[in-house]
Amino acid sequence: MLRITGGKVYDPANKIDGQIKDLNIDADGKFSDGQCDSRTIDATGMIVMPGGVDVHTHVAGGAINFARAMTPEDHRRTQAFIRTKTRRSGLGGMAPTTFATGYLYAGMGWTTVNEAAVPVLSARHTHEELADIPIVDKSTLTLMANNEIMLDQMEAGEYERARDVVAWYIWAAKSYGVKAVNPGGVAAWKWGGDARNLSSPIEGYNKLTPGTIVTQLARICDDLGLPHPMHLHCNDLGAPGNIKTTLDTLKHLEGSRAHIAHSQYHAYGGDGWETICSATAELAEYFNSHPNITTDAGAVIFGDTVTITADGPWQHLLYKLTGRKWGNLDVENETGCGIVPYTYRPSNLVNAVQWACGLELLLLIQSPWQVFLSTDHPNGGCFWRYPEIIKLLMSRDFRDECIKKLPSNIKNKIVLPEIAREYTLMDVATSMSAGPARALGLKQKGNLGTGCDGDVVIYDQEDDPGEMFAHPRYVIKAGEVIIDDGEIREAPDGREYIAKPFYDPATNDFMRPLFEDCYTMQFENYPVEIERVHGASIHDCKNDQDS
Amino acid sequence: MGGKVTCTLGEVKQRADFIIYWGGNPAECHPRHFSKYTLMQKSKFLPKGRKDRTMVLVDIRETKSVKASDIFLQVRPGKDFELITILRALVKEQQVTDEQIEETGLSREALNDLVSRMKAAKFGCMFFGMGLSMTRGKHMNSAALLTLAAEMNAFTKFVAMPMRGHGNVTGADVIMRWQTGFPFGISFNRGYPRYNPGEFSTIDVLVRGDCDAAFIIGADPGGTMPQPAINHLKRIPTIVLDPHITHTSKLARVHITTAAQGIAAPGTAYRMDEIPMPLKPALKSPYPSDEEVVRRINEAIAKKPFWLPEGSMPQMVTEQV
Repeated sequence: MLRITGGKVYDPANKIDGQIKDLNIDADGKFSDGQCDSRTIDATGMIVMPGGVDVHTHVAGGAINFARAMTPEDHRRTQAFIRTKTRRSGLGGMAPTTFATGYLYAGMGWTTVNEAAVPVLSARHTHEELADIPIVDKSTLTLMANNEIMLDQMEAGEYERARDVVAWYIWAAKSYGVKAVNPGGVAAWKWGGDARNLSSPIEGYNKLTPGTIVTQLARICDDLGLPHPMHLHCNDLGAPGNIKTTLDTLKHLEGSRAHIAHSQYHAYGGDGWETICSATAELAEYFNSHPNITTDAGAVIFGDTVTITADGPWQHLLYKLTGRKWGNLDVENETGCGIVPYTYRPSNLVNAVQWACGLELLLLIQSPWQVFLSTDHPNGGCFWRYPEIIKLLMSRDFRDECIKKLPSNIKNKIVLPEIAREYTLMDVATSMSAGPARALGLKQKGNLGTGCDGDVVIYDQEDDPGEMFAHPRYVIKAGEVIIDDGEIREAPDGREYIAKPFYDPATNDFMRPLFEDCYTMQFENYPVEIERVHGASIHDCKNDQDS
Repeated sequence: MGGKVTCTLGEVKQRADFIIYWGGNPAECHPRHFSKYTLMQKSKFLPKGRKDRTMVLVDIRETKSVKASDIFLQVRPGKDFELITILRALVKEQQVTDEQIEETGLSREALNDLVSRMKAAKFGCMFFGMGLSMTRGKHMNSAALLTLAAEMNAFTKFVAMPMRGHGNVTGADVIMRWQTGFPFGISFNRGYPRYNPGEFSTIDVLVRGDCDAAFIIGADPGGTMPQPAINHLKRIPTIVLDPHITHTSKLARVHITTAAQGIAAPGTAYRMDEIPMPLKPALKSPYPSDEEVVRRINEAIAKKPFWLPEGSMPQMVTEQV
């Protein structure tokens, strides 16, 4: 179907580091050994990588759609996509519309995205929104760490029950894995509280602590054989001195797999906004000695954005700090959600520290298989600004230039100026594609080997990595040329990955009365019908465990 | 000002010990609201149900909802914004003059009592209806109430939610937002979505006579819109999809009878708290669903030449004017 010849290939999964290699993609859209005699792309002098994989982003669902409603002033000034024969209209900006989201990701060479926070109650909405995001393949994570039915099981010491409940919810939501946000803290927020340390009981519970939730939920994800481990947004996000909480959380995870989301927001020293400083060295050291844990940077880029998170109490604090608009949506039994528009300014000391922390983690964690490119879109900045971060990682000179613009009293608060490391193209390919694909358990992604999905991005080699990564020469999805010289050629529908963990069939009967107690819809109407998930591709966890 | 501090209805059912209905008459307009979500339900946090909850009604006149309330505050018509602003001040213990309070038709004692009850609540919820959002002050009133709810969180947990009516208006909102970024009042006439309520909202477009065709699904503007808008609908080719004969279908050039959603056609309806509910049809209908009709019209349009000649327009606008 498609042949790519003569390009310098960077394929970390197969340890190919810049060798010239030809690639063939068969009629099923997968890499094959056999040659085919259809279209050939001459990639001589060009750089070839697997399509990008975003391990943590917020592109669809109630929260981002709430953010869209709250930011018409940004839609007004941002990039607009005009309808053409192959393309729907839409708007870019801080919270892009669905069609534009697909075009912007693909336009940058990303072909898979993981929507990291979905309440089960509105999962039906999320899947319908994802169906309107063209080109990229998608997966979703279900918010679990504040689900009261599950917390009650943990409080009662019923581990197996809790595990069945989690599996039941994943399948009800038709999601791919588990997201934990501020374990216990969002449940406490339902009464206006929070949970900022791991060992105190959660408001409304006698003995259940955030630490217990972290440990048990990570174990549940492992026991269920989910392709992606627990995806954890730690307690105490954004607060000065929160490194203690983060390291404490990591200790609770010993022996389990886990993915720590947007760790930049969890790597601060100091004890107040005046004394906040980077504590990334400590955190990176932990990652460097614990290869079972992965993370994404959650890097901050200066400029306007809108923050959205299930961490309701943090957003209330941010609203009080900034005095800007505040959206909050508590979801019955399951989770919360907060939205506050925000501007990161280089002149602001806290923002400057945050900016440095994201880059420091990406540079200090030695293995790019462990730390992935993300801005926690749109929280730290919009995903379409990833090329700017790649440039900062690849060029120390450019970093030094940017550091000069920060407030002078930032000295001694950050370690970025001392870091000499510069990302190689192999590092970039690992951090933007091969690494996150492996962490997500998507074996067919981020890999140019035979049998894997034919998702490829091809760049003209340029001196400025920011320019190079912002404007791929070709983007290929499942063997189809999607982007050719900046033009969107095709906009096919993507697939959605779903996990099917095993649970005791009696869980249904167990759930029904508890459900009827706290929810406001019919039990039968709650699980998302599989027919509503467009392009569903089911990962059977049980079989995986057996084999 | 700005934003919305809210929750799903199950949170109200589970936790709300203090409920304010403002400018609405749920007893008649949302008859299941009290029993399903707000007043009558018992929960693990409110085991005694109605006895554990306090309900305040704010309205300009006595309606059937008064009987369900513990406290009724009759605000002078058109003074909602003033009253909310006074409450925001009292909550923060700022000075308010007697004249200012008098203007609202209520007493200082009643307002102080309300404020102390709001602060003493464990979980407060304010529902507001068209009596607030569609009277003098309009969106300013809604914004003021939403701000009061946000500010109450400095003292205790508080949320607010509009009491939306009509069939699935929330669903239309939600989908327009994900596809265009805006909930309503959208113009595509430059090939990409632009938003300006008052200019691009349906009534304004019709009254100005800007559109030369109308396509109406699941609504009966012929019964509710101002006469100049209706007159324009009569002038232009108006196409209506509706299971019933309506004011609009009578003035339309074409009326396609469709199966009723949720009764004879499947689909999704969004609740006022933006939770999607699957619709499962109980009956069969000889008529096609709205969705099928729209799909077939779309297919027919796709066979026609594209609306613009190739290359006659830029594909992208990097900075809008």
